[in-house]
Amino acid sequence: MHDWRELVQSKLAELPVSPGTKTDVVDELAGHLEEVYEELRRQGMTEELAAQRAMRQVTDWNALQRHIRKAKEREELMHNRVRQLWFPGLLTLILSTGLLPMLLKLGLEPRIVSWSGPETILFYVPWLMTLPLFGALGAYVSLRAGGPARAILLSGVFPVLSLAACFFVILPLSIVLDRSIAFHLTLAGFLGLLLSWIAVPGAALLIGALPIQILHAREANSQRMPGA
Amino acid sequence: MIRAGVKRGTAELAVLSILEDGPLHGYEMARRIEEQTKGALRFTLAALYPMLYCMEQRGWIRGAWETSSSSGRRRRCYRLTPAGKKKLSPLRREWAELFGALQRLTKVSHA
Repeated sequence: MHDWRELVQSKLAELPVSPGTKTDVVDELAGHLEEVYEELRRQGMTEELAAQRAMRQVTDWNALQRHIRKAKEREELMHNRVRQLWFPGLLTLILSTGLLPMLLKLGLEPRIVSWSGPETILFYVPWLMTLPLFGALGAYVSLRAGGPARAILLSGVFPVLSLAACFFVILPLSIVLDRSIAFHLTLAGFLGLLLSWIAVPGAALLIGALPIQILHAREANSQRMPGA
Repeated sequence: MIRAGVKRGTAELAVLSILEDGPLHGYEMARRIEEQTKGALRFTLAALYPMLYCMEQRGWIRGAWETSSSSGRRRRCYRLTPAGKKKLSPLRREWAELFGALQRLTKVSHA
């Protein structure tokens, strides 16, 4: 009895895909070889000859490994991006932005800081204090999914990236569509908005995400230098 | 010598056509293609699976693990997606045109 699974696993040992994908590929190819072998046995071939003929299904295992890697590369990339960036990022965004209206409903009063003349900035201090926690959560979920350093940081600060995108896309669009917005918006007001909705929340999220990213960098370094 | 692109095109058409009749796993797909083309088209494991994975990537087919009720064996069955079904008719037309053109050119015809 041939162990086709073990054979395929050893031949595709260097296949650079995630463990789950590799298991699927190995199981599928081993199943195929097994069926070829069984069919040849049914036709009356000896075990040895049937195994030899089944093995002829692949003449160059390295080439097969290369072709599978090429085919699976994009899938892996997309899958990893979802697990390591989009999911933790959106989780951070939903939790952090969802909390603010809840706090407002509970009677949260913003701290008003006078900025420049009539301009004022609103700081929702209790909400800002929770942001390091969400930043750390997003970074941790990304870390657990095997995310690289950049994905860990981006997942942690994802809410402000979305807000920044809104600012720099929606605001210029609104100005083009409605000239009165440009008339009412001053530079000081715009900078105030940037400070209260992007810079300060971003810093708060970063405070939470940075230690996780440093932890990841330390782990990666210790793995690179096992003797150190 | 048939160019790789032409070979790949025929192979993809064969897989899409065979899956039009219903979901199949890789081995059964290769067996049926060989049977229906009377051995003219043969797929080895090395040729079949990278192509199936590529086609799955493009969204033309979708694979899912299923357990056979008779043998209890776990197999990955592929089925045609709506995108695959959509791809099939223009692909058929292109190949029919190509074969028609080749026939006219080489004056090869059925007796």
